[in-house]
Amino acid sequence: MASRAANVVLSRANRMRQTLQSALEASVLEIEDVSYQHAGHAGVKGDANETHFNVKIVSSKFEGQNLVKRHRVVYDLLADELKSGLHALSIVAKTPKEIGS
Amino acid sequence: MAASAQISRLHPIISPPLASRKPLISFSRFSPSFRCLSSPLSLSRPKTLTKPSYRNRVRASIRKLSESESIPIAKVPEDLDASIPAAAGVYGVFDANGELQFVGISRNIASSVDKHRKTVPADLCFSVKVGPAATATADRTVLQSAWKSWVEEHISATGKPPSGNLQGNYTWTGAPPDLRLTPGRHVSLTVPLEDLIDRLVKEHKVVAFIKGSRRAPQCGFSQKVVGLLESHGVDFVCVDVLDEEHNFGLREKLKSYSNWPTFPQVFAGGELVGGCDIISDLAEKGELKAILQK
Repeated sequence: MASRAANVVLSRANRMRQTLQSALEASVLEIEDVSYQHAGHAGVKGDANETHFNVKIVSSKFEGQNLVKRHRVVYDLLADELKSGLHALSIVAKTPKEIGS
Repeated sequence: MAASAQISRLHPIISPPLASRKPLISFSRFSPSFRCLSSPLSLSRPKTLTKPSYRNRVRASIRKLSESESIPIAKVPEDLDASIPAAAGVYGVFDANGELQFVGISRNIASSVDKHRKTVPADLCFSVKVGPAATATADRTVLQSAWKSWVEEHISATGKPPSGNLQGNYTWTGAPPDLRLTPGRHVSLTVPLEDLIDRLVKEHKVVAFIKGSRRAPQCGFSQKVVGLLESHGVDFVCVDVLDEEHNFGLREKLKSYSNWPTFPQVFAGGELVGGCDIISDLAEKGELKAILQK
């Protein structure tokens, strides 16, 4: 069903979801576009469209990784997005153990 | 041009001259801050000056804290000059309960006290004891020794240093100015920007690269980080990544230097600690100060 233009048509949030889900096999993956909260603040060129996101991920792949490492993993996965207008990410990255499930 | 980096944190500040210096990467700032977990100080006795002073109240060496009488800080500026000498020396400021809040040194004690009177809450800045030096051109080491001596005296009497002298307390000295990597775009770099960044994070214990200035952050995440660091009493400096004049190219270069794509970025001991999320997380867990000041 995916046409070659599918990825362009998909919103950033959906692209992020696909990337993160497949790489991290997350048990919990919440992505929230909060760009409107940052509209007009310094350093945001143009309008604030799909620029700021809150991401919450629970994945066993984070086991044994400190916070900096976990954030780097997420950033690396989203490198393309970061180069194309994604501006800031608020990341909560936990393991299943840490949330007590 | 680099100021000596080996000057220890115990060395106090002399009241700055009228023109404020541009804070470049090589700017070392001394503050009368006192580490809570300090290594034992060696008590150095104030130098005894042989030339007797014309003022019979001022002794040849700077007198002790306990030997100085308390002078109330006048609310009205005109009264100040009469009671507090415009001399170089050491001084201690007491709060309304008579507790010592801060020990400082100055080239002009009256002027320094006046500055505190204007910027510090009145109940903290209630009275002062002064230890003027015998000459106006007293050597810096004399003033520093007197400062150390007064602080030590207070510690022996109470068991702890004055709270205003603790590291990260900017009530009396003001927050350190934001650092700049270069003097401006008109000066071309002689070393790669990466090297400047590297030197900067290694020269300062804690550095926060933020959007905007310390006093006026231009991004909610940067503002949150500055707030957290200050409320935890962390002694840190800021660098404004949006300052295209003094930090041109920093924004992009830092992303590759740290391998981190967003701001703010907090470094401690030359290494990236993280951004807003991580700093907030550490603060919630109560680990922030430990991580940053080890």
